[in-house]
Amino acid sequence: MDAHAPSIEGYFPAPPAVAGPRSGGADTVSEAAESASASVSVSVSVAMPAPPVPPVPSFTANLLADDAVFSPRREASRFGVGLGLASIYGLALGTRQGGKALFTHAAFVPAALAAVVALGVPALYIALALFDAPIDPPRAVAVAARATARTGLLLAGLAPAAALFVVSSDDARSAAGSAIVGLVVAGGIGLTRMVGELHGSMTRAPSSVRARADFAFFGFMIFAVALAARVWWAALPLLRGAR
Amino acid sequence: MSSTVLTRLLRSPADIAACCREDRDTRAIALTSLIALVLGAAVFGGVIGSFRGGAQIAFAAVKIPLALVATLAVCAPAFHALAAGLGRAWPMRSIIALVLAAAGRSSLVLLALSPALWLLFDLGIDYHAAALAASMAYAIAGLAAIGILVRGLGAGPGRALTAVAFIGVFFAVGGQSSWILRPYLVRPRTEHVPFLRSREGGFADALHRSGRSAAGIYDRASAEGSGLRSLPETTRDVGEAE
Repeated sequence: MDAHAPSIEGYFPAPPAVAGPRSGGADTVSEAAESASASVSVSVSVAMPAPPVPPVPSFTANLLADDAVFSPRREASRFGVGLGLASIYGLALGTRQGGKALFTHAAFVPAALAAVVALGVPALYIALALFDAPIDPPRAVAVAARATARTGLLLAGLAPAAALFVVSSDDARSAAGSAIVGLVVAGGIGLTRMVGELHGSMTRAPSSVRARADFAFFGFMIFAVALAARVWWAALPLLRGAR
Repeated sequence: MSSTVLTRLLRSPADIAACCREDRDTRAIALTSLIALVLGAAVFGGVIGSFRGGAQIAFAAVKIPLALVATLAVCAPAFHALAAGLGRAWPMRSIIALVLAAAGRSSLVLLALSPALWLLFDLGIDYHAAALAASMAYAIAGLAAIGILVRGLGAGPGRALTAVAFIGVFFAVGGQSSWILRPYLVRPRTEHVPFLRSREGGFADALHRSGRSAAGIYDRASAEGSGLRSLPETTRDVGEAE
């Protein structure tokens, strides 16, 4: 409580002296005032350094940040950005055939993520609630939105490589294989990190609850993989060997 | 191009990696690394091309830096996303600086190995020994790159997995882009050398086909289906012009 309050000069330092020729008629009073002001400014700046400017978080760090306060708007935005990023991977897959396939792939790559979140996450929450796991709906929503963003980011990052492979592979199976590798890597990382975060939220829960929650997580992972594979297989022509 | 950065690239990879990670001095590191990358890879490419000589020296001197830069351009977004997905949500410029620094360091190693490789070629080693020597030079340079890359990831969970993911993506993309831009090493008796070979599937297809051929299984139908004229040519193309 004894801390000194910072003077306002520390935050609003005196403006720098104007460069240029000085007028020859400057009186001694104004010079003395200037020098006094400069000495005060120097002493203040020595005693009270300017507060450091906090670094601006990168787009990626902001997208994947674990917020302390839940905001539905923020999570919806994060979810939408994740789906948008995932569609870039779809565009990359569509470059093999071009035309309408660009839009088909761009629409249905994120569709699987949306389906998993829309169908799987509520079911997972219900199962966790039945097992009395200490996870509230905002936490589940936030983790799901972040997982979507993470998967979308991974898919967008892998999109240039996917485009290279699907365009330059002669064999349709090779092109499909490279597309599947990207989907599996991005989906796998997103899913495991999501489950890991939810699991990490239950460190103080009894071991019996955690064991039952693990059972629910396992079921959710199987469901998510099966559903995503079903959507992608049914909707992406590239995976079915289209040339 | 900064000689200080160049020296730090070679002597203090941990320092360079920390600078990239903490977003310090990234402009100078990226610029110097890019110049080192292009220069080192061009000289190494010229030496590879000198196995046949003539226009192939210029072709390989252009194509090897091109393949490397194209690979990095494709890999950088993937590295950024993989790092973020596995717990390192760094700015894109940090990742690009780190990747360029790693590639620049490896290219400097290639530059250092080029005279020795040229001497081997001049002593008259055969095609397969030349390919092996060039591959070994690449492997040594790759180890130098990994040194920066792994240090750049810093401590923390998921470091090994992220490094493995980086290496996997780099090899896959590098293999494919190099395959598209081949040939590099060409036999001296080859009369006409094209700048680029005709499209013959992808790198993975070639690996698969070569693996089956090594096991004594020759896919005549698939070779013909992929636009190749006959099996002997397939074997010659894959074996002689990597």
